[in-house]
Amino acid sequence: MSALAEILFGGLFQGSLYAMMAVGLALVWTTIGVFNFSHGVFMMLGAYIAWQLVELGLPAAVAFPVAVVVMAGVGWILQASVVRPLIGRPNIVLVVVITTLAAGSLIENGALTIWGPRSKQIPALIDGNAIIGGVGVSLHQIAIIVITPLILAALWMFLNRTRLGLALRAVAQNEDASHLVGLNVTALYGLAFAIAASLAGLAGIFMGGYRFMSPVMGSDPLLKALIVVVFGGISSISGPIFAAYLIGFFEAACSYYFGLYWTPALLFGVLILTLMVRPEGIFASRSRGLA
Amino acid sequence: MTDTTSTMAPIRTAAAIPIAPGRTPWKHEAVGFVLGFAVLALLPLVFGDTYARHILIMAFIYAIVASNWDLSLGYGGVFNFGHLALFGIGVYAYSLLTKLAGLDPWIALFASGIVATLAAILVTIPILRLKGIYIILVTFGFAQLVMQVILSQSDITGGTQGIVRIPGLYWLDHNMVRDAKFAYFYIALALLVASTLFLRVFVRSRAGASIVALRDNEEYAISRGVSIVRQRMLTLAASAFFTGVAGAFYAAYQRNASIDVFGMSLATIILSMVLLGGTSTIYGAIIASFVLTIFAEWMADFGAWRPMITAVLIIGVMLAYPSGLAGMIKAAWGVVAGRIKRPA
Repeated sequence: MSALAEILFGGLFQGSLYAMMAVGLALVWTTIGVFNFSHGVFMMLGAYIAWQLVELGLPAAVAFPVAVVVMAGVGWILQASVVRPLIGRPNIVLVVVITTLAAGSLIENGALTIWGPRSKQIPALIDGNAIIGGVGVSLHQIAIIVITPLILAALWMFLNRTRLGLALRAVAQNEDASHLVGLNVTALYGLAFAIAASLAGLAGIFMGGYRFMSPVMGSDPLLKALIVVVFGGISSISGPIFAAYLIGFFEAACSYYFGLYWTPALLFGVLILTLMVRPEGIFASRSRGLA
Repeated sequence: MTDTTSTMAPIRTAAAIPIAPGRTPWKHEAVGFVLGFAVLALLPLVFGDTYARHILIMAFIYAIVASNWDLSLGYGGVFNFGHLALFGIGVYAYSLLTKLAGLDPWIALFASGIVATLAAILVTIPILRLKGIYIILVTFGFAQLVMQVILSQSDITGGTQGIVRIPGLYWLDHNMVRDAKFAYFYIALALLVASTLFLRVFVRSRAGASIVALRDNEEYAISRGVSIVRQRMLTLAASAFFTGVAGAFYAAYQRNASIDVFGMSLATIILSMVLLGGTSTIYGAIIASFVLTIFAEWMADFGAWRPMITAVLIIGVMLAYPSGLAGMIKAAWGVVAGRIKRPA
């Protein structure tokens, strides 16, 4: 019983974090058609900004939202500086990989210079522990499990029910037609990046609440988010969300039964197998667009 | 293959490719090739100290890896992000072959190249039918998979500890340790010459032309009888051999192996060399390897600012010159050559 509870809990928790990361990657990919390799750095930066604000004396309830808003600005700036000038170039996918990697390295080393290598921790959302189904869990992790689906549902509502969200989906579906009907495509590109960056920043704040932060903390979640988007299909939003939880459960079960060492190898094995059978991801339809 | 002349003389078919406008005649290239490497071969006369030679040896190794990556990335148009894994496989193949199997270092050096080639063929299987971003993700996954396997087999590979005291290369009775890296310099240079020669002959051959045709117009190339499966496998296998040998040489030179070679930071540096140099040139990647390696050493005093300055430099060049350093040199050469040809 406790084994099942542990896997269930671990899967829900990891899946939440992966979903927050993967949705941002998928959003940027569907709208702009580029892959943002500085996404993991966004996560780190969000956590550090929140830490700095708490350190300056702000209460967590103020500091966290402010950090998320700042991250939206960072996402916008990054998009305007290293992605937008390249749009229209024939080898944009490849060049953006290198410019976002370089920008990520710039931010990572900047964080290292400003905040130093010493590990830091930000306050948990809720302090305390509980025992559920024979497994000891922290209330912080419970909070993440509850909050993440709400945020993702809000994002879904935004993309499907608001004019701005529909405009974003329109750009994803057909950029030229969006231009024709008078949408400001450039601004929408910035918006996609801003949303992705703030979601990653929020994931970073969540992570910084239960684990020590370091300038390289985003690289492993980025890797997992990559697996998730491949597994779930990159051209949608719902696919990566389901896949994130599935991968979370798979990871929790693997580390329970096979040990921590084999889990990444098994994950990548599953990834490669998935791509050989269904290259567009297991949940994806064959059309490009946000759903 | 109905054309009898092409089957009779398969090597000479390279000459059958018409000279495209702007394509350098091979005689000009051969002169430049010999002159360029002759200059490199004379460098130890100028730089006598171990440190300068060490920088050059590292630049040669990076140049081999980067230029071979350019074959699959630039010419093949395959977004192969697992190239560094082939380098890492070379490092570990050499280490294990010499240390555990007790193989002769020189044989192990070439065996490592073959092991890397086999690995490249293996990784091609899942990406045969994939495109663009999915190739990036699978090859990236492959690199991580190799790293995880090495980590999990820690009783053979040393896991995170790595392997130390790997046998180095030897040359008759020559003392490789006390010659201020003289012998290693020339071995590295010889490997770079062999690799570059191979790459240039390959991309100028009929097979090279068909790979570029696949990259530029896949449907048309397939309709003209070019096999995407065979050519993609050929491209990756061809780019793997010298990459594996470079990895083996790196292990022999450093005398130790660690999983750092699979890390993102090395991959980013070498990828920047490929893109900074300009894709589909081979020479661009080599030039960029020298520029970036020497630049990084020159800025050694800047400490934490060094990777930041390098990142800004990479972004700046990518934004200003999407065709990279090779594009810059070509543009500059165009201006100079135009002035010479048009006397006032």
